[in-house]
Amino acid sequence: MKKYLSLVKLLFIQQFKSRASVSGSSSKKRAGGLVAIIVILALCFAPMLISMAVAMYYMGKASNGNVYIGTFLTLSCQGLVLMFGLHAIISNVFTVRDADKLLYLPVRSPTIFFAKLTVAYINEVITTAVTVLFVLLPFGIGSGATVAYYFMLVLSIALIPMLPMLVACIVSMPFSALIARIGKNSTVKTVLRIVVYLLIMGAYMYAMYSFGFFAGSESGNILDNPEQYMQDMVSGFIDRLSSVMPYFHPNYMLMSAMMATSFTGWLVGFGITLGEHILLLGVVFLVSLPFYRKMLTFSVEYGSGGVRKLGKGQYKLGKNGIVKELMLTDLKRTVRDGQMGFQSFAGVIMMPIIVVLLYFFMGIADEGDTSFLQLMEVSKLYQVITPLVVLIYMTFIGLGTNVMGLYPISRENMSVYVLKSLPVSFSKILLSKVLVATAVMLISDFVTCLLIVLLLGVKWYFGLAMLATMSLMGFGSMCITTLLDLKDPRFGWANFQQNLKNSKNSWIAMLIGFLLGLATALISVMFIVWYSFTSVWYAILLMWLVIFGAMFAFAVVSYKIMTGKATKYFEKLEV
Amino acid sequence: MIRLYNVSKTYAKSKTKAVEDLSLEIGAGEIFGFLGPNGAGKSTTIKMITGILTPDSGTIEIDGINIADNPIAAKSIVGFVPDNHETYETLKGIEYLNFIGTMYGVSTADLRAKIDEYATLFDLTDALPKMISTYSHGMKQKLSVIAALIHEPKVWILDEPLTGLDPQSAFQLKQLMRKFAKKGNTVFFSSHVIDVVEKLCDRIGIINHGKLVAVDTLKGLRANKRISLEKLFLTLTKNGEGQ
Repeated sequence: MKKYLSLVKLLFIQQFKSRASVSGSSSKKRAGGLVAIIVILALCFAPMLISMAVAMYYMGKASNGNVYIGTFLTLSCQGLVLMFGLHAIISNVFTVRDADKLLYLPVRSPTIFFAKLTVAYINEVITTAVTVLFVLLPFGIGSGATVAYYFMLVLSIALIPMLPMLVACIVSMPFSALIARIGKNSTVKTVLRIVVYLLIMGAYMYAMYSFGFFAGSESGNILDNPEQYMQDMVSGFIDRLSSVMPYFHPNYMLMSAMMATSFTGWLVGFGITLGEHILLLGVVFLVSLPFYRKMLTFSVEYGSGGVRKLGKGQYKLGKNGIVKELMLTDLKRTVRDGQMGFQSFAGVIMMPIIVVLLYFFMGIADEGDTSFLQLMEVSKLYQVITPLVVLIYMTFIGLGTNVMGLYPISRENMSVYVLKSLPVSFSKILLSKVLVATAVMLISDFVTCLLIVLLLGVKWYFGLAMLATMSLMGFGSMCITTLLDLKDPRFGWANFQQNLKNSKNSWIAMLIGFLLGLATALISVMFIVWYSFTSVWYAILLMWLVIFGAMFAFAVVSYKIMTGKATKYFEKLEV
Repeated sequence: MIRLYNVSKTYAKSKTKAVEDLSLEIGAGEIFGFLGPNGAGKSTTIKMITGILTPDSGTIEIDGINIADNPIAAKSIVGFVPDNHETYETLKGIEYLNFIGTMYGVSTADLRAKIDEYATLFDLTDALPKMISTYSHGMKQKLSVIAALIHEPKVWILDEPLTGLDPQSAFQLKQLMRKFAKKGNTVFFSSHVIDVVEKLCDRIGIINHGKLVAVDTLKGLRANKRISLEKLFLTLTKNGEGQ
């Protein structure tokens, strides 16, 4: 037990291991800045989270705390936990990079495995706590739940991650085996990781969608009798869930205990759900341990080799310029690192997915009816406002998820000395990093714009205008985030994924995105008003020209600031 | 070739004075050995000469070029072999060499010739298409040595270069250092292996607690005390003596 606890402590601390490496930076000042960012971003996210909590409250009220709906919401939370936790399970539990460091210890492999699983579980508990706070808590309040519900809610934070952990282990095993046997092609491995992640995300969305909450009601139009319409919709939803939810028995029993009106009901539900969750844990352990052992042996025995031998001069040497070579090297290193590659490219696919989802939700209509999307498309302001809304949203989300541009210096880790020793100007090094990040973001921007044109019916020239504006926004923002990372990088990390979670860079980027979005909105308002009254086409042309000009100025100024401060900040790095 | 004038460095985070008022001159064609116990300031000094760290005060010149005023020109004539092997693990050996060659502006033909020459010398040709992450400590060391030499530097700086090398490669490296110095270039290396320093170096510097406590030829160092370099080193570095 002592060995197990020491291992858990070691592995848990290890994932947060990183240090600031800049001379003269005050930790108090940093902490103050961090608090300010958290407050501002909390204010930005508050409307979304509060809306969600309010929706859950009304769901609880309308369904009167229905057990099936509660089970469905628990399942939704678990889906999110699975999506956020799956990669951690693959990279921290089954990818046995640390085999050589752990195998010589006088600790049995089940102890090591259980310790790793515990660390992954603790991480999932944290995600669960957040989802419970905004989903199950307001649902309970809305349904007028008893004290037992809130008592069980605390316990549920520990129980809810069990099912996603089992699913994650089951999914991870064949996937990890495939990754391990795929050879040395790290790029293919990264692509595979992203594809699997996409598939799981898609499956989750499809499953949630298939339960048909938005299937409508028999009570005619929502505007005629909204209350009756909602009541019917919830009843129909409960009917559909009642035949499926009992199959998710641990969740169903958990919710039955939470919603129990009698002590006996609570005790029975609690006992059964606890037993089932313990059983789940046992299954996770028993199913995964032999596989972990196999992976351990595999990693030690087949650690290297498998590459053809070269004769003298039988290799290719590329002839690139300095910036291009810096970019290519940076890109190769990122793509080939499993965690870094996944984190850098998985975020970029977020926006195209959101557009597709938007299309599905807005395009829903019964046969013969007009969908919300079709209704909007006929409005003369649709073509003007849609690209702007998506642009603002993309700036906010896109900047915050583009890991390539958020941690360009931190991802160098302890090998940053290579960059410092090269006879290359620091501004060129930074430019290469910004260009790589902008290029990656541009792929996402291009796909998003294409989808907006194809799916949401936005005119192609507005798509082009968006793409041009976004590339400037991206470049300018990446200049700022690169400089910020250079000013206060985190080196010495052992786990890139956890390093990201502990860093404030993505929050800062979202804040920049928010401010840019705000600027875009402020610029466009007067032109939209002008257009709505006069319908003159050049009002819109002028609007895009002004936005483009403003973003061009932003990109130039950001670049100037970055290059101006590059040497000073680089010199401050102590490695 | 290398000149340090009153160079001092204090790390901001630890507030420890790593190097204090260090002055040193190393001429062309010289092999200079830099000795000191752990944490004495050897690596900090080397990092300042290579431009990785900026000194708080003092100046450093490489072949007459002040590294603070013209860092790119100064770095262009330096080849550096670091002591840690935190290099570009996810690159293949050949990709890493190509990258370094491009950064130093080496032509493709010269780069190919140099890679062939040194990879054969250190028996690393077969490993070049493999990821650096699969290399052993010694192989990474060999790759660093090759990367430091492919642009034909005038100054070769090595931080603990013999650690992890097999006897054949260690022999080759020592030969290479002699050959490099004979061409009128400068070799500056730190080491814990007193034996090697004794046999290889024209002059030796001993650093302790960030201060240079002795610098002379081996003969000069021994002149007054008829003892071995090892004993001399231990005497000079014992509890900060010799400061």
